This record gives sequence, C-alpha cells and structure tokens, in this order.
Amino acid sequence: MKTLGIRRGKLVHQRHFVDPKSAVARCAKSHQFSGALETGDTLIFDSGFLSKLEQLYLLSKKIFRGQHHAERRSKHTGSSLEFADYRNYALGDDLRSIDWSIYGRLDRLFIKLYEEEQDLPVYFLVDSSASMRWSARADTQTKFDQARRVAASLSYIALANLERVNIFYFNSRLGGDMGMSRGKSQFHKALEFLQNAPEESRETQMLQSFRAFAKRLKQRGLVFVLSDLFDAGGYDEALSLLRFNQFEVHVIHVLDPAELQPDLLGDLRLLDAETDEAREVTADPSLLEKYRAQVGSFLGGVRDFCLKRQIGYAQASTAIPFEDLVLRVLRDGTLIR
Amino acid sequence: MSLLNPWAFSFLAIVPVIVLLYLLKIKRLPATVSTLMFWQRVVAENRRRSLFQKLRHLLSLLLHLLIFLLILFALARPEFARFLRGGSSTVLILDTRARMQAIERDGTTRFDKAKKLLAGYARHASSRNQMTLLTASSTADVAVPFTPDERTLQQGIAKLEPTDAGGDLDAAIHLAEQLLASRSGAKNIVVFTDRPVATKSKVEWMSVGGKLDNVAITRFAARPIPNSRQTWEVLIEIRNFSDKPAQGNAEIYLDGNLVDVKPFQLAPNGVRIEIFPSLPQTSANARGWLTARLDVHDALPVDNEAFALIPPENPMRVLLVTKGNWFIEKMLAADETLKFEMLTPDAFRAEMAANFDAVILDDFLPDPFDLQKARGNFLFIKQTPFAAGPAPLEQPLVTDVDSSSPLLRFVNLKNVTIMNAAQLRLPAAPGGWRLQAPLRSFDHPLLITGERRADDGREQRVCALAFEVAQSDLPLRVAFPLLMSNTLQWLAGEKSSSPTSIAAGQPIELAPDESIFVEPQKTPALKPGYSAMASNSFRPLKNGFYLIQRGSMPAWIAVNTFSESESDLRAASSEVKTEAAHLPDTFSSLALGVWPLWNDLALAAFALFFLEWWLYHRRRTE
Repeated sequence: MKTLGIRRGKLVHQRHFVDPKSAVARCAKSHQFSGALETGDTLIFDSGFLSKLEQLYLLSKKIFRGQHHAERRSKHTGSSLEFADYRNYALGDDLRSIDWSIYGRLDRLFIKLYEEEQDLPVYFLVDSSASMRWSARADTQTKFDQARRVAASLSYIALANLERVNIFYFNSRLGGDMGMSRGKSQFHKALEFLQNAPEESRETQMLQSFRAFAKRLKQRGLVFVLSDLFDAGGYDEALSLLRFNQFEVHVIHVLDPAELQPDLLGDLRLLDAETDEAREVTADPSLLEKYRAQVGSFLGGVRDFCLKRQIGYAQASTAIPFEDLVLRVLRDGTLIR
Repeated sequence: MSLLNPWAFSFLAIVPVIVLLYLLKIKRLPATVSTLMFWQRVVAENRRRSLFQKLRHLLSLLLHLLIFLLILFALARPEFARFLRGGSSTVLILDTRARMQAIERDGTTRFDKAKKLLAGYARHASSRNQMTLLTASSTADVAVPFTPDERTLQQGIAKLEPTDAGGDLDAAIHLAEQLLASRSGAKNIVVFTDRPVATKSKVEWMSVGGKLDNVAITRFAARPIPNSRQTWEVLIEIRNFSDKPAQGNAEIYLDGNLVDVKPFQLAPNGVRIEIFPSLPQTSANARGWLTARLDVHDALPVDNEAFALIPPENPMRVLLVTKGNWFIEKMLAADETLKFEMLTPDAFRAEMAANFDAVILDDFLPDPFDLQKARGNFLFIKQTPFAAGPAPLEQPLVTDVDSSSPLLRFVNLKNVTIMNAAQLRLPAAPGGWRLQAPLRSFDHPLLITGERRADDGREQRVCALAFEVAQSDLPLRVAFPLLMSNTLQWLAGEKSSSPTSIAAGQPIELAPDESIFVEPQKTPALKPGYSAMASNSFRPLKNGFYLIQRGSMPAWIAVNTFSESESDLRAASSEVKTEAAHLPDTFSSLALGVWPLWNDLALAAFALFFLEWWLYHRRRTE
C-alpha cells in the first residue's frame, strides 16, 4: 500500500499498482482523494480498469461535424487512409493525390479523395436533484454517486478516443459545465468537476434544463442523460426536445433497489425528498404489490419511449457494482462497444 | 329476557370516550422516499377502487363498539324469562361418602366427576335462582347456605373433599326438603352421586361412575388372648366385591413396621377371615398402631387400609399398708402388671389413696375412717368399715359363692379353711354405694364389694375381706393369686371401657377434660403437627389414628370405614329410575346446557376481538 497524498486533511491510500509514467496513471494519482463528494466516497480508477476502458468506444449512429482532427468519421474529406471519392484534377492540386492507374487507363487526371476523421462532441447531463441524492440506507451509495461514476467512466472512454467532452449538472435548471475538454490528460479535470458537485439539491425539471442546454450548445453531438427521470412534469417532452435539436441521446436510468422493491410496512408518513410533500400511507403487502406494478409500468413506459424514438436506454441500478455496470451492462452494443 | 345486573349499562358512558379515542389520529412513522409519484398513484387507485377501503376506518370503529356492547351485555347477566319465571330455589346435594373416592377407568374419581358437574350447575346461580349446597355422608351438612352468588358456591365446591364415612342419602334429601319448605317459587333438588336410590321425593339425580370391582377390608380388630394378656391376636376380614376371583397379600404393620404378611385368595363374592396370632403387647412408650394393608390395585384404595390399636398397658399402681404380710407382698411382686409400694400403718395418710389405683389396708383401718368421704379404691382385710361386732367368726365355712362376680372369676374356694373371720354387716346403700356380698358364710358376708359414682364423676370401688389371709389356707391355693388379681383389676377399674376403634362418621363424645386433635395420623414417623382440637363432640370423617388428650394422658383411637355398602361398587346407578327423573320441568331441562347466556356473549366478544385483530394486521381496518 502506497500513500499517495493528503488533501483536505484526509489520507488516501492506493490499493492498486499504477504506472506513474502514464498519463492515465497521473490522472488516477492526482484524483484518488476524498472530500469533494457528499457521500465521502472517492472516484478511484485503477490502471487496470482504465486500460479496459481504453479498449471501449462510444457508439454514435449519426455523423457529427467535428472541429479537430481525430479518429471519428466526419462529413469532410481529408487526409485519412480511408478512401472517399474521386474528382477531376484542378490546377494547384497536390500531384501526390493523382491516381496514376486511372490516368493510364482513361488518359485523364483524377484526384483521390480521403475521408476526414474528426472528433465527436460528447455531453453528459448529470441529474443532481434531491431524489438522486436519496438513499434508503445511510451505508449505501446514492444514485448520484453512481451517475457520476458512470459519467466519469464514459468521459474517460471519450477522452481516450480524442472526443471532446463536456459535463453538465442539472436539477430544476441547468447548472454549470466543465467546459469542453479533449484528450486523456483532461480526465483529471472531469474527475475534479464530478467530485465538486453543487451542494444545492432541488426538484427535477428536465424540460427547462434541457431547453437551456440546447440553447447554449450550438454544436450538436452525443448526449448522455444520467437521471432517475423522476420529474413530475414528465421526461418525454424533455428527451424529445434534445432529439428535435439534432442531438443523439442516450438515457442511463439510475435507480435504487429500494425504489423498485420497497420494504416499507405499517402506518407511515411518507415525505418526498424533493418537495417535502407528505402522504400518509398504510402499507401492506397488497399495497406494495400495487406499488411494484406502478414502478414496472413506469419503467416499461420509459423503455418503450426510448425505443420508439431511437434513444439509447440502459438501467444502472446502484445495487450493481460500478465496474460491472460499465464493462458489462452498458456494453450491450448500443452505448459503447 | 331479563337482565340480572342492569347496572352494567352505566358503563355506556365510556362509548363517547372510545369514539373520541378513535378520532385521534394514530402516530405514523415518518419515512423519506425519493419520490411520491408512485405512492400517490397507488393510494389514489386504492381509494377509488374499493368502497370497502373507504369504509374500513368506520368498520373498525363499529367493530370496537360492538365488542364493547357485547361485554356490557355479558356483565348485565341476561337470562331467559322462562328460566326466571317466579324465581326458583335449588338444593344441590353432593354425595361425599367413601365410595365416591372410587377411581373410574379414565383415571378420575367419581367425586371429581361429580364436582365438575356440580360446578357447571352452580353457574346458574343468580338472584332469581338461589342455590344451596349440602353434603351427604354419615350426616347431612350445609356446605353453602342459600346464595345468589355463583362465586360463593364455586368457592364452597372447591373446598369440598370426599370423606371415608358411609351413610345414606335420605338424611340429606330430608334436610333439603326442610330447607325448601319455607321458600316460594320453583323448588329443585339435584343430587350428585354414584348411586341414586328410589325415593318418593322430587329429586333429580346426576349420576357419575359405573360398575367397578373392589376388594376391601371389612373388619380389623385386635384383642389380648384371655389366658395370656401379654399376647394379642389380630383378626382381619377381607371381602371380594367382584364376580371374578381376587388374590393378594394382607400386610400387618405395628407402629409402621411390617410384622406379618399373609397371602389370600378370594372366590367371586368371597369372604376370607385371617387371624394373626401372637402379636406382642406393646411397650409403654410405643403407640400400638396396628395397620392392615392389602397390596391390591382396585377401584377404591380407601378400604384397602384399616387401622386398629394394641393399647400399651400401663401398670397398675397399688399401695400396700401392712405391718408385714409375706403372702401378699410376694404375690404383688410376682405380678408384672402392677407396681406396688408398701407403707406401715403409721405412715399412711388418707390423701395418699388418690394417687393409687388400689390401696390394700391389711388388718389396718385409719382412725377415723369415713367411707362417705374417703377418696380412692380400697381393699380392706380383716379390719373393715363394715364391721358388725368385735366377736370373730370361728372357722367359718364358705357356703355361698357368686361366680358371676368379677372378683370370683375362675376362683375356686371349695374347702378353704379359715381360722377366724371378722363379722361384717351389709348396710343398705349408704351414700350412693351399691354394696354386694359375693362370698358368704351362711348369713355372714365374708367378702363385700361396693361401688359408686363419686362427686367428681369417677367410679369409686371398695372391697372388704373378712379374714386375714395368713389365718387361712387360701395363700396355699391357686385361688389366692386369682382372687387378688381379680380384686385389684376390679378396684382399678376396667380400662377397656372406652372404645379403641370406631367407624368413620361416628361421633366421639368427649368428657369435659378431654379434647381430640381433628386430623388423623397414619405414619408414626411423623410428629403430630396438629392445628386444631375439638372438645365436647367430634365426628371423624377420615380414616386413621386420632389422638385424644385426657388430661395429661394421651390416648389413640382408630377410625375405619368398614362398610360393605361403601365398598361394593357394583351397584348399577343408571338402572335406578325415579319419578322425578321423567319430569319435564326439572332443573336441568330448564338450564340451557351448562353455559349461561353471558358466557356465550363473552365468547362472541372474544371472537370479534380476534377478528378485529386479524383484520387490522391484514390492513383491512385502520
């Protein structure tokens, strides 16, 4: 065990070996500190897990216009190795681009065009509302923790593939963002942003937040929505808005097992974590059965909605270990490969 | 229907309190959830879907009120009017005779069965149906007087125990009729017994028990052998009250120690008498408890044990006042049944006589001596208070001998030679004395006996012998020790006058200075831990040995059942039909089972209480 450093008075030990020469290791080394998260937990990524993440690739059905040369296909022709098309030679063209074999057969000069590979804008919209910070028991992680871990992992995959990444918090409105970042060296920035989440916790208003997001971002790209979708105003209009604004949307539905299978019984006064609204309920097995039916109906509705609108959908229960979630559950061929 | 305790409805004032308590909201457990979205839908759907759900709060209240009202009705003791019409009086008679201790084939005694039945009947006691409880054994006793209170009756029933006494039920039925004679309304007599009897009275019989086989000791007694009073023999009579042969062993215990065992075999309905000879006289400090036990396991254990006594014989205390009489001294010294002291005439004082069973004044009469005032039993020899004159009778012949006199029993005075004798005169009953002359020489009494009841209630006896024994050849004859022994025994009084054994239930009359411990003893090893004593009269109802305190002298008395009617358990009780048994208006036909109505109401309240509890935990009510 190696002591890595002290920050805000807490001593953190690294349990896994990290190659200090690699950039990834540097990121990991500099962000294995606690103190920023509300739960007191730490975003720890060891080198083994990060190297596994580097093998992954964010899938996008659409082709977006990038800004920088990168590894993802774009609508532009450029200088990659992938052949795109021919065009007639014009004065000033690089002679090295002339296809001499065509000239030998047709006696005309043609220039070979190659695809331009550019980067992909990837946005993460992390729900920071009060319901995301709720947990059935104090010793279990919150949905918010799980969402930030998933966001960190996916952002690393994107950064490793030279995509441009930005992270946003939202609850009743759109919060501050991390700023566009590119390259693995920016991973520490993403971790720091995720660790220093806003303290405020309000109710969820997805439509208002997403409208602000679409207005602020002119460059379209891939959007990951990490939320429990517990919005009294509904989630469908908000997600449709993103689709309307040409974003490719993926929903990662973060849920707590206690929300799916509550073990509440007896005479209860239930308090809403977001609105503080109270409701008196006498819970018995039959009532819980009806509750489960309601939750099942809600989840089925979300899934159908996403399927019909070609929105990527995955459930991320807090009961599933984080690494399994990223490396197995989300790797189903629609989100990452 | 009438209410016996209408005051119970004063508790209706509690109803508003119940409603008020119900209106108060229950304290609910707070719990925070991530969203109420689903809960609101579920609760709204629940309320919308079921009318019952809307009413379940009201249902719970109604159930509670119903339970409360049922309890109130149970407290009010409702009874059907036909049961109460005109009021009624019921005499419950419980047979407590020894036979009720018989153990039935299911292991319970007839008495316990009868008590259980009796307790069921006692539940019907009320102000409109007063009941009294009698017990019937050797006598009829009122255990609980007429009362409307069931609890008093139940407490009285719980205290009842079977006795070891015999008897019949007529006295109890007669007493019941007398008790009912002065009462108005319906009159019922219910007898709980194992053997109903035919009677002209209007009686309802509640019969318990069936036909059972039994072996019993029906007689057990001990007596000293006449020709050897130091040796006792014991008789035991064993009967077989069964149509099947029986066998076993009869064991005899003396002061708790096994002294003899004899096997016996009995034919069906047979009787066997066994004699156990040669039991030694018990020592003075022993109790002399004789116990017989049969090692058989039959229906009635109480008659397999019997008790008798071999009372330790206390030596007779004799005072000999003489100037010297070799024959009398040797004779007294040879007799082991007495202790004697000897004085010279000048050392004798009249008050000494009260300390001895007999006083022999040999040729000596205190001067003055008044027979009316004297205390004690005296044997006068030659000088007597009955002297007729100074002239002696020369060589008197024994002509008349009254052999029926206890003094002359087995005494042969034929050809006894007497040199001379004093002249005696038989006075005519002076001062209450009953005087006799069992030995005469023609008209001259040679022996005078007298007895009277003294002022202190004790028997006083005197005897006067007209001649000095040394002046005759009597000491050389066998008749001399017999005459002296008979005389001294007679003077000392018959100690066996008080019985040593009685039947259970038979009263023991006690003298003013006597008292008896009311609990029997069966094991000599135990020290008497008595708590109560009785005087005047006592009726022992349990078998065993009872201690009677006569002044400072203890005495025991054995109590046994010894009743063939108690031991014979074959009487078929169900065969006896009485006129009253067919009457439709009897007590049991009026009673609705053994459950009064308030019990049913209480049961219904309990059932509803359970239902409410079940509904609440199933969330059917709130």
